Parts: sequence; C-alpha cells; structure tokens
Amino acid sequence: MSEADAIRLAQAGDAAAFEFLYRLHGRRVYALCLRMVGNPSDAEDLMQEAFLQLFRKIGTFRGESAFSTWLHRMTVNVVLMRLRKKTLPVASLEETTEPDEETGGPRKDIGAPDLKLTGAVDRVNLERSIEKLPPGYRTVFVLHDVQGYEHNEIADIMGCSVGNSKSQLHKARTRLRDLLQEEVREQARNDRQIAKTQTGQAD
Amino acid sequence: MQCRELDVFFEQEGLAPLSAAARQHLSECHACKHFFDDLTGIVAVAHQLPAEVEPPAHIWTSIRTELVREGAIREFSSERETALWWQSFTELFRNRGWATAAVAMVMILVAFLLGSKPREQVLQVQEDPYASTVTALSQQEHDLANMQLASTGEISAVDTSLRQNLQQVDEFIADCERRVREVPSDEVAREYLTNAYQQKAQLLSVMMDRGGSLN
Repeated sequence: MSEADAIRLAQAGDAAAFEFLYRLHGRRVYALCLRMVGNPSDAEDLMQEAFLQLFRKIGTFRGESAFSTWLHRMTVNVVLMRLRKKTLPVASLEETTEPDEETGGPRKDIGAPDLKLTGAVDRVNLERSIEKLPPGYRTVFVLHDVQGYEHNEIADIMGCSVGNSKSQLHKARTRLRDLLQEEVREQARNDRQIAKTQTGQAD
Repeated sequence: MQCRELDVFFEQEGLAPLSAAARQHLSECHACKHFFDDLTGIVAVAHQLPAEVEPPAHIWTSIRTELVREGAIREFSSERETALWWQSFTELFRNRGWATAAVAMVMILVAFLLGSKPREQVLQVQEDPYASTVTALSQQEHDLANMQLASTGEISAVDTSLRQNLQQVDEFIADCERRVREVPSDEVAREYLTNAYQQKAQLLSVMMDRGGSLN
C-alpha cells in the first residue's frame, strides 16, 4: 500500500489504512514530541492527541502540502498549545523572532572572545540544552538540524516565512552555544571545587 | 566582510557552503572562527541525535479505541472474511471455460427438471425456472464490476465492443424474460432466453479474462 492509497482509504474510514499511516509516521512524530516536551509521558499524550486530530481531519486533506508536513504542522500546534497551557516560560513564534535581549536570552557578541566549545559538545549535553531552548527555537532546531526538514517545509509547518525559519534556526544555534558554554563553565567550576576539596583534604 | 555581516551570512545562507568573503574573514578573525566551529560542532552532534524514536505500543491501541468509539474508522474484518470467501469461490469461475460450463450446467439442470416433471408440476416450477442462472450471472456481473472499479487502465476498442454486445444481450434477455412471464408456455421464447443467458455467460467470461470491462 502506498501512502497515497492509505490516505484515500483512511478518508473512507478504513482502519488498516489509519494504522498504516500511523506506522509510517509515528516514530518521527514521537521523536519530535519527546524532544519538545522532554518526558515520555507527556510525549505519549501529545502524540496521541496529534494523531487523533489528524485522523479526525483527514477528510479535509487535499494534498496541497506533503502529508508529513501536514501531520507535523498538526503535531507542532498540539505541542505548542500544550506548552502555552503550562506555566513554563514560553516564547511565542513572534517573540522568538524578536532580538535576543527581549526574550531574556544571553547576548550574542560576534567577534568577542569567548569559550571555545570544540570537543565539549556531546549528545547528552546537547539534548539537555535543547530542552532549555524557548519552544519556538526548539521546534525549528529539532525540525531542521535533527529531523532534516528544509526551511520551506518548516515555514509550512510553523506557518511562518522561510526567512523567519532561517532567522530562528540561527538564533536557536547561537542560544544553544551559549547554553552549552554555560554548561562547560559550570562543569569547570565543579571540577575546580572538587580539586580544591581534594587538595584541602590532602593538606 | 565584518563580523556582523558574517553573522547575517550565517543566518541567511547557513554554515555551508561558505562564500569566499566569509572564508577570508574566518581566516582573519579568531572569535568568528570559534563561533563558526562551535555552531558547526553543535549541528554535527544534532545530526547524530535519532530523528525517529519507536513509540510505546499502547499508543496505537488507545488511538484506535478512541477512533472506533467516535465512529471515525470502520472495522472491516467481517466484510473481509466474506469477501475472501466469495473471492475464492468466484476465482474458480474467472476462467472463461469454467464460467460457461457452470452456466451451461445450471441451464441443463433446469431443462432436465422441466422435462422430467409432469405438465402440472412444470407449470408450478415455471414461477422462476431461471432463478439460479440469473443469480449466477448476477454474481459474475458483480465480480466484473469490482474488477472494473479496481482497474485504472484505458478502455480499448475491443472492450467497448464487448460492452455494447453485453448491452444488446441484456436487452434481448429482458425481452425474452418478459415474453416468458407473459406466456409461460412459449417454448421458443424459453429457448431464446436459454441461449441469451449462455451468450451472456460467455461475454462476461471474456470480459473477465480481459480484466474487467463492464460499464
């Protein structure tokens, strides 16, 4: 069964076609939800909600955009809606396009001397830093740099312009660099503290 | 290129490929080089993160249960079992020879029953002596219609001709049936009707062999 066949059958209410579409896209949607909310329980809820919305509205899908784009748009909307309801620090799509100082993020000083991250970035601390990004930045970063979507697809998913997507991605990467630098500094402080303690104990 | 211009370049064009001016600036500005190396490193690690994660199995179960409850999806299991049973049965008659033989046997049986019974009993069974033949042909037509629905190919001139022939045979059968209903003792009409059914069975078999050309 092709995706197009499955969509047509699902629009007629075929249970097997629904399951086919779920199996085809479920892993990617779950990965997105998981990375957006950071815990499996919430990710499961969101994924379920996204697919329920998708299947309820599948009759309206006319193929103007790719089915995966349509599904991701629905998923992102469900996730961002949930994050807005929570009392987490949420930056809207509009807010995240504003200058960094307005979102309270660290300033970016191009050309200024700073801590070099080379060798200090691994998957664990990157995952941790992604969770600290504002939702708008996080969405664009995950879609582009983790899931491999192009800017025109992200613009379609997020309902923004291509330029906006590019801008948000760059700001997300820059913010991640700041967060990772902070983590490296924190680690260095801890290391010094431990070394100092050990030296004190040795004396 | 200045540091700020390089930042705009990264934003608009991404980290690769770099323009000559960007490469030139990076070779001269250590801070921008560090910035570029850091972003490149972050993106490289991000590419290593799994883009797909297997969700727990119970999610689909919950989604399916909810959709069934809402009536958004239909369970096809019983329909499929019926379809499979019927498909295997009709598959036997997809071959032209088998189909023709089956219809012919039904008609011989009907003729035998009519011939072997006393006149008064014949009049009783004359209520609908062709019922089984008509049922068999209807089922063949139904199968052919399903095949035609599944087919997306173009309709050839031969198919068009077969359809026209079938329509003519159907019209002839209708005339014969009407005549037999009006005058049950009209043996000529019965013979014509028997021949017409046989012709229709052959036509349907040919059309099935060609992959369905009804409608």
